[in-house]
Amino acid sequence: MNSRNICIRGVGAVSSAGWSAAAMHEAVLAGTPLPATPCARPGEGRSWPCASRLAPAVPPEKIARHPRLRRSSAITRYSVAAALEALADAGHDPTAPPPGLGILFVMQNGCVNYTGRFYHEVLQNPAQASPLIFPETVFNAPASHIASFLGVDGAVSTLVGSSNAIMEALDTAAFWISSGIIEECLLIAAEECDWLSAEALTYYHPKLIASEGAGALLLAASGDGPKVGAVIGPLAYLSWQERCELLPELAAQTQAQFQGQATLINDRTGITKLDHAEAAAWSGRSWNSVLSPKYILGESMGASSSLQLVLGAMAARQTQQPVVISMPGTNTAAYACVVTP
Amino acid sequence: MNTCVGSSTLHTTNLILSSLVPSPSRQSIAITGAGIVSPLGLGWQANEQSLAADRTAFRPVPAGLFDTRELIAKTAGVVDLPAANLFHRIPSHKQAFVDRGTQMLLIAIREALAQAGRQNMEGIDAMVIGTSAGAMPLGESYFEHAQQEAGRVPSQLSRAEHYQPQRQMNSIAAEFDWRGPVIIVSNACASGANAIGWAADMIRSGRAKRVLAGGYDALARLVFAGFDSLHALAPSGIPRPFDAQRDGLALGEGAAVMLLEAEDARQSAALGDVSGYATATDLHHLTQPDPAGKAAIRTMTAACVQAGISPAQIGYINSHGTGTPFNDVAEAAAIATWAGDAVAGIPVSSTKSAMGHLLGGAGAVEAVICLMALQGQWLPASLNVREVDPVVRFDLVRQFRRAALDYALTNSFGFGGTNATLVLQRRSA
Repeated sequence: MNSRNICIRGVGAVSSAGWSAAAMHEAVLAGTPLPATPCARPGEGRSWPCASRLAPAVPPEKIARHPRLRRSSAITRYSVAAALEALADAGHDPTAPPPGLGILFVMQNGCVNYTGRFYHEVLQNPAQASPLIFPETVFNAPASHIASFLGVDGAVSTLVGSSNAIMEALDTAAFWISSGIIEECLLIAAEECDWLSAEALTYYHPKLIASEGAGALLLAASGDGPKVGAVIGPLAYLSWQERCELLPELAAQTQAQFQGQATLINDRTGITKLDHAEAAAWSGRSWNSVLSPKYILGESMGASSSLQLVLGAMAARQTQQPVVISMPGTNTAAYACVVTP
Repeated sequence: MNTCVGSSTLHTTNLILSSLVPSPSRQSIAITGAGIVSPLGLGWQANEQSLAADRTAFRPVPAGLFDTRELIAKTAGVVDLPAANLFHRIPSHKQAFVDRGTQMLLIAIREALAQAGRQNMEGIDAMVIGTSAGAMPLGESYFEHAQQEAGRVPSQLSRAEHYQPQRQMNSIAAEFDWRGPVIIVSNACASGANAIGWAADMIRSGRAKRVLAGGYDALARLVFAGFDSLHALAPSGIPRPFDAQRDGLALGEGAAVMLLEAEDARQSAALGDVSGYATATDLHHLTQPDPAGKAAIRTMTAACVQAGISPAQIGYINSHGTGTPFNDVAEAAAIATWAGDAVAGIPVSSTKSAMGHLLGGAGAVEAVICLMALQGQWLPASLNVREVDPVVRFDLVRQFRRAALDYALTNSFGFGGTNATLVLQRRSA
């Protein structure tokens, strides 16, 4: 077995479209960008526009109760909800997770709300900074909480990286499963939004809209569900220019991996300056349909590729055709993958 | 670009699309280079000399780093970086956005490559790097500028960009004109050990032949204040791991890397082997270990099984040994349970007593210290101990000493419950 044949047994998602993979799928298929709201800033406000698309309030049925989740951050709550949905989607009882389960968690920014709050307290008066908040700022706090919630005491790890770092985790998940370290793996990538990260995106482009959420995939060596048919990458780059020059190679290698009609799920933001290299790279063929989750949902940074993968699995199930996912990343490497029904 | 595409295509083939095979449990992974930066010094030799002299490295945190006046603890293990710019390919106006931790990592990488007789990173399939805080000081600076200015601040883009650990690693890759996958493991204080184990697994599974692996963290105000808020830092500034009256840890900073190679593809002389690795999760509490150290027992047991050895064959344990009341009790209990009747004969020390807790760098730095001990046939000490805690049943090394050893084990336990154990093996000349 390798990562090409790994089976996606279940998916779950929290996004600006709602607290389920189905809500996200529906919004992305509708093709209309979700409304953005002005991002509030503490203090005197800001002199330039900044908007975000946040996850809606948690529905009562999605509230997970556990001592470790009482103070947990939004990123943890999104991740728990997505993980439970993925387990249920695979036919597992979420209250009794399967033995041999591992967890790989991926993020770019992490627990930014608690981090900002704690650092604000440090600047105000470090002697009174909250010892309850600090541990929640650590990158692997969400994975730890989920492990505790699900009772997973084996292989649990957190990776930090670009928006497509989930592909590094996918490779490791396949190794963990193939070598018998675990039987199934929850692959989760998540992000939460705050005013600082929303503003940071506007420095990349004034129209870039921050978002948040979590995507979860339950992976196994075999079983019902779509499979990762091919993984292309990492095609590493050191600059934006190199990235642009690499994308045709990424597209060419990917298109050699499948035949016939297919759906493309791209990384398009709706901002031409940011999108044009990717759009050009994939323009050489016709697609059954093209989905652009980032354009609809917003830029959810570390979570964005996981949402693409969740959509890819759903689209493969629905269309019974291959789904190509383009994940060019932002500052390290480009990936693509083909999900087959 | 042709080189880039060719190299990347190679990675595609070797790392991702190749078949994964079950990990051969006893396949040792050669260590052909190592680099270390710690508060005890820059490089292998400086660290070896300091450890041999039982020297500690704690001093007041320089005001240029951050202000500790309102905190309980005011000292740390601080690295003195060279004044000269270390990055030759980064324009001078961007040097300010290279984090201190990244600079330490670059020094360690250069030493590891030099030790392996390499000028560059050509032929290295991947980097796996552990960090807990990444470039936190840049994030702090971004926050402070955002709070102070209602308008746009152009330099904020660079802060936001370089705050990201993968962007910092990109600076290192650019320094060597190297393009390849960089995996950043962030399991708090176990990150460095996890990164080395992760890399060894990549080689064992055939996904890579040659991986540069290690960890780093630099002192950061938020992290220092965080540990201070938890009352985890020793008020005296002196950590006393396994002392009956220990009162906390001291923070430090540093970096270490190892160049790991598959034996059948080895291009340099081997200094030792990574012969065992295991990781597990302690679900007891977000920040406190299970008192019996059950996860640690599992990782020590599994790592030794993979290495094909019994506890009695371990010639030295570099303990996690933070000096906090909870950690040392749990780890001592775990070692006693795991070692059984052999416990009294196993030498154990905590080098955090000399340099502090390097967080994401700790596991890698302590693994390199194990390698140094195996090479030099010596044991570093647990310093500052006045009265040994009664939970200690092993041979606590309280002074540097010469010893014959073939295997060394190092433990790393992190916030969030990640436990990791590495077993290193001596290579005979």
